[in-house]
Amino acid sequence: MMRLSTGALVVLGAIAGFVLLVLYGPLFVAIFFSFFRFENNAVQWDSFSFDAYQSLMHDEGIIDAVLNTLLVGGVSVSLALVLGTALAFYYNASRSRHRDFLQLLIFLPFLMPPIITGLSLLVFFREADIPRSLVTVIIGHTVFVLALAYRIVLTRLQTIRASLVEASLDLGASRWQTFRFVLAPSLMSALGASAILAFALSFDETLITLLVTGTASTLPMRLWAMMRLGFTPDINALVTIILVGSTGLALLAIRFVGVAAPR
Amino acid sequence: MPRGDGLMSARAVEAVEAEAGSPGYRALITILAYALPVAFILLPLILFLIQSFFYVDHGDIVRELTLRNYERFFTGPAFLPVFLKTCALCLGVAVITVLVGYPVALLIASLAGRRKYVLMVIFVVPLMMSYIIKIYAIRAILGSNGFLNRILLFLGVIDEPLTFLIFNLQAVMLTLAVILLPFAMLPIFIALERIPRSLVDASFDLGASGLQTFRDVIWPLSAQGTIVGGTFVFVLAIGDFITPQMVGGANGFTFGRIIYSQFGFAFNWPFGAALSVILLVAVLIALGAGSLLARTRHQP
Repeated sequence: MMRLSTGALVVLGAIAGFVLLVLYGPLFVAIFFSFFRFENNAVQWDSFSFDAYQSLMHDEGIIDAVLNTLLVGGVSVSLALVLGTALAFYYNASRSRHRDFLQLLIFLPFLMPPIITGLSLLVFFREADIPRSLVTVIIGHTVFVLALAYRIVLTRLQTIRASLVEASLDLGASRWQTFRFVLAPSLMSALGASAILAFALSFDETLITLLVTGTASTLPMRLWAMMRLGFTPDINALVTIILVGSTGLALLAIRFVGVAAPR
Repeated sequence: MPRGDGLMSARAVEAVEAEAGSPGYRALITILAYALPVAFILLPLILFLIQSFFYVDHGDIVRELTLRNYERFFTGPAFLPVFLKTCALCLGVAVITVLVGYPVALLIASLAGRRKYVLMVIFVVPLMMSYIIKIYAIRAILGSNGFLNRILLFLGVIDEPLTFLIFNLQAVMLTLAVILLPFAMLPIFIALERIPRSLVDASFDLGASGLQTFRDVIWPLSAQGTIVGGTFVFVLAIGDFITPQMVGGANGFTFGRIIYSQFGFAFNWPFGAALSVILLVAVLIALGAGSLLARTRHQP
């Protein structure tokens, strides 16, 4: 775009540094105090230990929450990928005018405030007599991440040249074979990118989950419940583990999306 | 349509239709495509809308259509003021994030080569980090027993913990601003990055100062992205009910919290649904105003 003058650079750099401090500072504080204790208004530098992590390992509520989170993420991401791919194929192949309406429907849960998506599902589940459980959480997450999977797959699908599909059909391949050997391989990276991003979203989803869950809790729910009690090393340890997990996912997603983006 | 090299859409359709072109088959596919989105997205929304016209009598939902929930919103003493206060709060969040996010995006966009993207990733990665953890960490820093107070006490700057840092609307505003900042930065960065270098060079060559170039070239070309970023932030902030609950305390009552309480303690789903519909209207107005503003800005 342009080069900044030194004065402007200093001012903007100071603002940027401040923003970084605000964005990352709280996270580092939490990580730091998962290893050290804070007593008598001072950091106890000799209190370094993994105790907090060890006590997490014995907390069944947390282990349950981790398993629930992985289950919900795994199932809803798989469902969203299958459904999103099917819908992307439909949108891409359909020439009817109402396909844009369908697309709007798919995007809605992503565009509306999560409280609306969550509450409308809550009302729906009660009207349909579906008891709140992990199943309803999975439905909520699937609806939420569907837009993402759909959009990424559709974008990729639209860059695949028609001549490839025609050639395959001309050479006598069935439509299934064409899908399996021509389309699927070039969709793989898009599917991978959607899977990681969708999983990261599901992993962290709080607002919708809180509204549609029954007694089962996912990791963010559990964390929320623990936090009402106060600031303990255990929570900091859990926070650190989650941060490492979600940062890893984020970096992986960025790499993957970089690779998956059409060149 | 030229043969061969078009994109997949139309040609593939012809192939598919030639092979399986019966209208019955096509209708079946269409029904299959619509089934799940209609069942799990459209139907819940419609039921939700209908719910907002029911009412509660002695703890039971009466399934009669009335406007009394909406009436209650406008006539009750607390709801409309809280709603307006929440709108102002979220507008404040949007303004803060844009005021802080714009200079940072400008700095990043002015860098050369790869550094630019690496830096942008550093600023955007916190978006993917657990939302609830960020609230928690901010609370741990600002709380009366928090690190900021402890450090200030330790340094002797204050004698008693500061209590105005948390559990009020300002704390809600700041926390939301920290969480949503990357959402504002991203569209601004994209808009700035799209400005051709040659335009800026031309401005300088014609004798404009840096400030003039910013005012007459860069700002008009990035205003649209800035408005989009601000609108994003507003929409995300207004529906939140966890942040106000965690850092707002008793004084930080927002509209989102009122809605949530209707589905919890208050147990008045129809009224909660009506309040959500009002929230949705506010969101739509914000989106409409945003795109209107962006369009007028875009005209020379």
